[in-house]
Amino acid sequence: MNHDERELASAYVLDALDAGDRERFEAHLPGCAECQAEVRSFRPVVDALARVADARHPSPELRARVLDARGARAAQPRVLPGPGASRAVRPAIVVPWFLATAAALALAVLTPYTAQLRNRTRELAAAVRDLTARLAEGDRQLVAVRNEVSLLAAPDVKRVDLRGQGAVPQAAARAYFSRSRGVYFVASDLPAISSDRAYQLWFVTPGGPVNAQVFTPDGRGGAELIAAVPPGMPDPTVLAVTLEPAGGSPQPTTVPFLVGTVN
Amino acid sequence: MDTPLNDGDALAAAVTGDGAGLAALYDRYSRLVFSLALRIVQVEAEAEDVVQEVFTQMFRQAGRYDSRRGTVSSWLLTITRTRAIDHVRARKRLPDSRYGREPEAAAENLPDPRADQESQALTDEQVQRVRRALDNLPVEQRKAIELAYYEGLSQSEIAERLKEPLGTVKSRIRAAMMRLRDALELDQRVREPQVP
Repeated sequence: MNHDERELASAYVLDALDAGDRERFEAHLPGCAECQAEVRSFRPVVDALARVADARHPSPELRARVLDARGARAAQPRVLPGPGASRAVRPAIVVPWFLATAAALALAVLTPYTAQLRNRTRELAAAVRDLTARLAEGDRQLVAVRNEVSLLAAPDVKRVDLRGQGAVPQAAARAYFSRSRGVYFVASDLPAISSDRAYQLWFVTPGGPVNAQVFTPDGRGGAELIAAVPPGMPDPTVLAVTLEPAGGSPQPTTVPFLVGTVN
Repeated sequence: MDTPLNDGDALAAAVTGDGAGLAALYDRYSRLVFSLALRIVQVEAEAEDVVQEVFTQMFRQAGRYDSRRGTVSSWLLTITRTRAIDHVRARKRLPDSRYGREPEAAAENLPDPRADQESQALTDEQVQRVRRALDNLPVEQRKAIELAYYEGLSQSEIAERLKEPLGTVKSRIRAAMMRLRDALELDQRVREPQVP
């Protein structure tokens, strides 16, 4: 099989395509495994081109210049906590499913609602109590409860639809974000991941991404969580999910594959 | 004895303001970064400015580093090339035909279809193979590769510079890239003989 685009791969990796060709190739690439393989095969060539220059050492003074500049910068206030924070990333939520569900219910209870919905909420609260007692075997009820909960939308809650990007267009998630109550997040069709990886949900704020929650999908690629909004965090403009090492990262280390705008 | 930080950990540490993480990365890669920067900008003082910018940018964008896309050193070198070419273009007041997108803003939240799981560091031996293959290219092919990689010219800019038809330049770049790739793949075949 042959197609024109494949001939663009080497110049694409070399970053030598003119704008028109580059746009054509970038539009073609996500759907073409052959061109992706071609691109991968050329990447080490370009990496080597960066390393074939004659080895030269910068002046010893440069080291201090670079490190001092960074030290000054590191002292500036940051949205995320500083050293040591990487260990403070919240672990994947496992135990408090019923707490999570209860928090979602609180979102509904605290907002004006129809009598019908209040009744429904009471039923759900009862279901939550039931789950509390039967957590170990409560999975089926939990599914029912969270299906109901996921329908809830209140005036002070913003709905955020997250769409799959790149290699996982089928992945999707919906979140309900409330400044005061937190974020309720449900995802489906997430790719399975190895045990040394985890997904991480981020509040993307004007000051940078802020950790919301580290989580792992269930056996069917689904996930559901409630995360608190860190005090003092600027309003997020985007919610995003990245793939991270197990336990999460202080800042995203991969490109988000689920992204949704908070309107 | 402390175990030396690996690149990923050093990067993570540098982001949290840990001076040791940054120092580790600087000591490991400043020579590589400086050598490439000097190859592109040709002036030592300017190359040092590039090095400083690269490490500053590394700090700022560490959250965007994706280990699946390549090693930390490859990422630093990609930043280095872009920064160094920006310097040359600014000096020559050339219109920036392809770097109009601010590299920091471009690709924000965009998936990278180039992501792959196979990235690993090149060995010195592999780099030497590519260096030899580059030296052995027909001179017009080598010129085209150098104009693209070290001067940041696009194919049509190279055609204009060399006063050659665009189609000729495209063929040369493709042929040259395939020969350089062959040099690497030959290496892999030697290491891992294929079962017929």
